[in-house]
Amino acid sequence: MLRLDGLTRRFSDTLAVDDVSFEVPDGQLVGFVGGNGAGKTTTMRMVMGVLAASDGSVRWDDRDVTARDRREFGYLPEERGLYPKQPVIDQLVYLAQLHGISRSGAHRRATELLARFGLGERAKDKLETLSLGNQQRVQVMAAVISRPKMLVLDEPFSGLDPAAVDDMVGLLREFTAARVPVLFSSHQLDLVERLCDRIVILSHGRLVANGAAEELRRSGPIRHRLVTGTDAGWVRDLDWLRIVDVAGNTAIVQLAAESDTDRLLAEAMGRGPVRELAELVPSVADIYREVTAEAGV
Amino acid sequence: MTAGTTEIATRSVWRLVAAREVAVKLRDRNFLVSTALMLVLVVAAIGIQFAFSGHTETKKIAVQGPAGSSIVASASAMAKEADAKLKLQPVRATSATAVEHRVTAGKADAGLLRAGDGWRLVGKTSRNSQLATYLGQAVQQDVVRRNAAAAGTTLADLQHGAGLSYDLLQPGGDDEGTARAGGVVFGMLFYLAALLFGMAIANSVVEEKQNRIVEIIASAIPLRQLLIGKIVGNTVLALGQVVLLSLVGVGGLLVTDNADLLDHLAPGIGWFVPFFLVGFLALAALWAVVGALATRSEDVQSTSAPMTALVAIVFFAGILSTGAIQVILSFVPIFSTIAMPARILSGDTAWWDPLLSLVIALVGAYGILRLAERMYRRALLQTSHKMSFRQALRAATD
Repeated sequence: MLRLDGLTRRFSDTLAVDDVSFEVPDGQLVGFVGGNGAGKTTTMRMVMGVLAASDGSVRWDDRDVTARDRREFGYLPEERGLYPKQPVIDQLVYLAQLHGISRSGAHRRATELLARFGLGERAKDKLETLSLGNQQRVQVMAAVISRPKMLVLDEPFSGLDPAAVDDMVGLLREFTAARVPVLFSSHQLDLVERLCDRIVILSHGRLVANGAAEELRRSGPIRHRLVTGTDAGWVRDLDWLRIVDVAGNTAIVQLAAESDTDRLLAEAMGRGPVRELAELVPSVADIYREVTAEAGV
Repeated sequence: MTAGTTEIATRSVWRLVAAREVAVKLRDRNFLVSTALMLVLVVAAIGIQFAFSGHTETKKIAVQGPAGSSIVASASAMAKEADAKLKLQPVRATSATAVEHRVTAGKADAGLLRAGDGWRLVGKTSRNSQLATYLGQAVQQDVVRRNAAAAGTTLADLQHGAGLSYDLLQPGGDDEGTARAGGVVFGMLFYLAALLFGMAIANSVVEEKQNRIVEIIASAIPLRQLLIGKIVGNTVLALGQVVLLSLVGVGGLLVTDNADLLDHLAPGIGWFVPFFLVGFLALAALWAVVGALATRSEDVQSTSAPMTALVAIVFFAGILSTGAIQVILSFVPIFSTIAMPARILSGDTAWWDPLLSLVIALVGAYGILRLAERMYRRALLQTSHKMSFRQALRAATD
């Protein structure tokens, strides 16, 4: 398990990452979300030891992370690029060897990964001759080739076509199935919501939300939509709920308690036909907008 | 994997880096072409020298009668004895006018004519001092022989006791030119290697920085290992190239019958190799800093300026300095790479001079390496803007 403990980074007089603490439990996929300049990349670089922390610590299995641990981490940096003029397989083998894998083992694993991503026949081609999407695939392979015990991926899905996204998801699931903790950042909130066990939201260097997707969505007030056969204006008269919006036969309301749902339904049925009464669970995107807006001011 | 094996693997991971540097370079067409070109240059230089030194020139001298022919023949014999690579061939003409005609028409290189009691040498547009020397000697000898016969004596009697031998009390002065030339060649080799491989190191560092692959590498292995690997890999390549060029050069000297020259150069070459190695190591570390200071390969042009200047100063100071300045430079790290072998070639060193200088160079190189490592480390992961040597130095000494 990876744990960030009060991680802080100052660049001269700006605070890029401010006292950030969260966990990436074994076998869980943690989505790291935040706008540009929120501090995601800086945080990930500190996790990887590429950047020194001004304060706080990175812990691995309840002790300070060491260079030896990091050698067994897989890392996909924000800005892509390997050696453009070197054959694909050569650089994959080289990077795996730097991570301590034997030459023959690295070669076997590289061949396997290239075949899996449909690049088996391009193994001996120079990287620069590949399309950008395929270069991105090679970059991902470089991050996972050493069978890391922890994965840190900065925007792994950017630049991937839908098929490659599915490949990537399959690959990440293999790692989490093997109890490897995976931390990845993304702008694609729908993807994060669909994939992640946990979500961490960063805004202006500060952590503004952290939890399981379901947990986050339920953390806010629950809203309901009521669609009636006639005009729904009468809900304005109820003093035990809060009106969010009423238009024609549709009302969106916020209830104080779960049990108020039945009360609302009974009230509505007493006044005429009811077409729909549904719970509105906010999406991660809604949550994101809400928490970053709060933190922004 | 146990902790122990990881530890060892981390400490020797520079070998992987060095092996990659060498493998990539050996497959780089530019590198192969430039190496081949240098070999061609060395072979051509030796060939030209051979052509000039080994070729005997034949000059045709137009003469009027047998007396002229015999003077030309004895002048040719004298030139041969003096190893002048000059052969004179008499060409008979019927009259003095015919002789001059041949010279003006370019059919003879010069004409030898009787002029009253003496002789007259005619040329076309310019004088040839070699012809004048040997023909003059031959005329003089011929006339003295005739006059001696007329006086009832012989040439040998007249010349009795006129012998002069010329011995050197401290021979070796003739080799001064060889020593100078040898010093220039060593200087040139080091200069080229320091510049070409230096740029290669800087570019290889900035390539990794620009592509951000350095972030992957930095998270996998200590940066010191990366730096050592790059320096070792490129030093091996540079030394290999220099050894290759030297072998071809030495082979050329043997083929062209210049083995005696080799005797003078051998100690210089022997010492040049360790000096080259130590000097190159120190410069290689600084070149790595040049690469780390840049953020894109275009920046290397400007970040390398102090290094190209340093390398040029080392080169020119090494080949041009003389006397006390040369002696001082031969003990200054990096400068000694060229200055000390040059001094060894000119033969004015005691046995301990090169040894002491090498020890100083080693200590200097170690110091430079340590400082360069800190600068490299500070600059390498600083990707937002280009840094200067001064900024990196300040960051490294903080």
